[in-house]
Parts: sequence; C-alpha cells; structure tokens
Amino acid sequence: MTWSAPIQEIIDEFQDIDEQFERLQVLMDFSDEVEVLPVEEWTEVNLVKGCQSIAHIEVEIADGTVWMKAAADAKIVQGLQGILSIAVNGSTPEQVLSLTPEFAEEAGILNSLTPSRSNGFRTMFDIVQNNVRRTIE
Amino acid sequence: MKQDFPILSRKVNGKTLVYLDNAATTQKPNCVIDSMSQFYSLSNANVHRAVHTLAGEATEGYEACRKLLKLRYNASRAVITSGTTEAINLVARSWGEFNLQSGDVVVLTEMEHHSDIVPWQMLAERKAIELRYVPVIDGKLDMDAFDVALDGAKLVCVVHTSNVLGIRNPVEDIISSAKNVGARVLLDAAQAVPHEMIDFRELGADFMAFSAHKMCGPTGIGALLVSDDAFDEMEPFMGGGDMIETVTLQGSTYQSNEHKFEAGTPRIAEGVGWAAALEWISQIDLESHHKRLLAIASDVKNELVARGMTVYSSLGPQDAAVISFNHPTIHPEDFARLLDAQGIAVRTGHHCAQPLMEKLGVSGTIRASFYLYNDVSDAEALITGIDKVLEAMS
Repeated sequence: MTWSAPIQEIIDEFQDIDEQFERLQVLMDFSDEVEVLPVEEWTEVNLVKGCQSIAHIEVEIADGTVWMKAAADAKIVQGLQGILSIAVNGSTPEQVLSLTPEFAEEAGILNSLTPSRSNGFRTMFDIVQNNVRRTIE
Repeated sequence: MKQDFPILSRKVNGKTLVYLDNAATTQKPNCVIDSMSQFYSLSNANVHRAVHTLAGEATEGYEACRKLLKLRYNASRAVITSGTTEAINLVARSWGEFNLQSGDVVVLTEMEHHSDIVPWQMLAERKAIELRYVPVIDGKLDMDAFDVALDGAKLVCVVHTSNVLGIRNPVEDIISSAKNVGARVLLDAAQAVPHEMIDFRELGADFMAFSAHKMCGPTGIGALLVSDDAFDEMEPFMGGGDMIETVTLQGSTYQSNEHKFEAGTPRIAEGVGWAAALEWISQIDLESHHKRLLAIASDVKNELVARGMTVYSSLGPQDAAVISFNHPTIHPEDFARLLDAQGIAVRTGHHCAQPLMEKLGVSGTIRASFYLYNDVSDAEALITGIDKVLEAMS
C-alpha cells in the first residue's frame, strides 16, 4: 500500500526497531508531536472512554483541512495520538476518511501493543474519523 | 516448582516470562492441563443423566471437585458456579431476593471488588434495601465504623483479602460481631483461598465465594460454600435442566441439594481440572510458601520505597504478597508496558475496585502479585526491570 510521505516515514522508523522496549521509547517520543489539548478543554464529550489512562481528542476542520488536538496522561497513549496527528493533521476530510489504521499495523505498533480495554490506537483512529464524518455531514 | 508450569518457560518479547499478575489469575501446572485434556480425550460426556460409561466417568470427575471442596474447606454445601462473581450474584439472587425486605440493611466495605458491590446495588434498586459502606482508613477497614454500621444489619459482605492491597481483613472479628446482631455473612475469598487454609465451618460465615483460577485451577469455575442454615433460606433463581426433580406442565419441583442452583450443563472439564488443582495444592505447604512470598514482597517493597515509589500495601504478617504501587510521575500504563517489553507481567488500572482507588486518591496503581511458583529471581527481575524503566524515563 502507498502511504503519504509522513506516514511512510513513521513506518520506516518503526520497522528498523527490533527491541520492544526501544519501540515503546520511540513511541513515547511521538507524544511531543501532539498539539496539546489544554486541561481546561477536557470534557466528557472529547474523552476517550477507557479503563487505563485518561485521554482526550478534539478534531476541528478549518479551511478545508483537519486538525486534531489531544492529550493523555500516559505517555505511550499520547505517543499514539502523536502518530495519529502526523497522519491526519493538514489532510482534507476526504483524505482522513479514506485512511485506514493499517499503517500502524505495518509499522508494528498495533501488533506490539497489547490492547487494553480501550485507548488503543484503533479506538482513537475511529474517534477522529467519526468526528470528521459528523462535521462534514 | 517452576518446571511444573509450562507457561513459565515461554519467552515474552524475547525475555523469559516473569509472571507477577497472580492476583488476576494464576498459571496452571501440568497436572491441571493434562487432566482437562485427558477428560476431553477419554471421558467427555454430560453429567448426572445417561447411564453409559462415559457419563459415569464425567459425573464422577465433576462431582470429585465438589467432594474435594467440601473436604478442603470443611463445608457441607458447595455450589459450583462460574466463579466468585457468579457466586456473589447467586447470594444476591437466591438469598437476598427472598430474605431481604425494603429498608433492610446490607453492610459492605469500601475495599470491595466491584463484584461484591454491583450485585448489591442492583438488589438495592429492586428491593429498596439500604447499603452501608464501611470506610477504609490508612488502607484498613475502620472497625469502629463497622460496629456502628452493623446496627440493624441483615447481611454483611466483606472481602477476606483485598485484591488491591493484599490486606487480610479481621474476618474472625467481623463474623463474630455480625453474628451478635443476627446478620448473615458473605466472604469474598477469591484472594484468600490461594494463600491460606480456611475452615469454613469453624470460621462461621454463611457464604464464601471464590474462584478456581486464582489457585492454579481453570478459569470459568468457582464455588459458593453455604452454611446449612443459609442454604435452607435460598431459592433457585435460574431454572432449567439438572436442577429439577420433576417437571409437569403445571409446575416443577426442584432438587434439594446444590444441584438446584446449577441449572444446565455445568463446567465439567473445568470441574475435573479444578479437582486436579485441589489435589495438587493439597500437597503444598501454603503457610511456609506464604511466609516465603511475603518476605520476597517485603524486600521488593523496600526497594520500591528506596526508589521514591508510593507503596499502598502494608504487607502485614497475614496479608497476601500483593504490592500496589505508583511512581510519582510515570503513568502506571507506561510503566507496565515498559515492564512487559522486558517480559515482566504486572497489572495496572483500578483493579475493579474504583471506590478504593478513589479513597487512595489515585485512578490506578501498578500491582505486582506473587504466587507459589515465584521466587527471588522474579523479584530481582522486577527490580532490574523497574530500574531500566526509571533510567529510560529520567
């Protein structure tokens, strides 16, 4: 599958890693890529419902492009949000809706993270797509 | 002992598994795995019905589990359930529904697992009973508040040993006080039976719920021990095959023994597996293992405190070897995933005890829980793993 350049870069970066510990360290580095949703903007509506960590995602469409702000108290979860941000920010709504979460699988992120009850990458990916869908409909 | 547990030799993320999530579930020795495989290979049939040989073997295998339970815990009634949760729900449905009236008081504690809170909240909605929660102060039950809460109580439900803190509650005192006011007592013993021998009759509780999988038995099966008096007050809530004596189109009569609470085909292979686990554990000196594991856990606790962690478990001489802890800045989920990357399995989250988490002022903890097959090498691996996490996150 062909991915956009920023997504392909993420895949390449992760594919070079053998050790799971190092993979998680790199994943946590991506937490800096998130445009942080300030605590005062954390609401029940933008809460990612889950058992383990607190995570919020807010999606906006301005001038025809998608932009997400997010935050999580667990660094690994915010790292996932960082990767998601790179994948969607600046894209058109149509591009975001045509995106599939398989790029994270290709990067080895999905397989390497045992799913907790929620807060997984797929859950947050679905939230972003659903928000975009609702906004443009 | 580790060689009896095949899973303990597997690799996780390239490292030999260090399994410290025993309060969630324990691993299974070969004898349990083999017994279930052998049952399905040689004796699989339904129980209590047909006259053929396989049915006889299956019935014998399944009922052996009940016999062993009664023998080990000195109980005259052992209802087989799907686990602790179903056992507690059975008390709520089969005893609570028929013996509690509007305004009656049920005493719970803030330390309970959700499985010993939610069924009572559901019953309270149906029957307008009053629920009183005994507070937790400094990780222990407030026994003065317990005495006050007892006033007019019909039922006391208390966790014997906390799944979060490992603390063993003073159940003897609790039962004695409850009996003085004529209340029935339900013990959630899910975390207790793996660590200590309990004489149910001598202890004097009316109900005791626990699961096989926390004591090296299979998942999906547990038991409710019931005193004779309480048993006579219970009515079946689930109807179906196996629990009846006769069925006519006009009505049905029920079995008089435990079967009346076990409608439908039971967990036969699991019963066979649990029987094997009960026989296996009967060869183990739980008391000496308890002391050994508690000493290991105490050493780990000291190491954690030395590294600036907050440890919530007091690890008193009777407590289970369960350590709940947090780092001041590293999120429990990050911590646990970074330990998992090193092959170390610990639990994180609220441990199905959100009210207790609220009391501790945290949303979750990291929990390392030790069991029979754990040894000093596991504790050392945990500390080494923690140091690697601390270094990576500094």
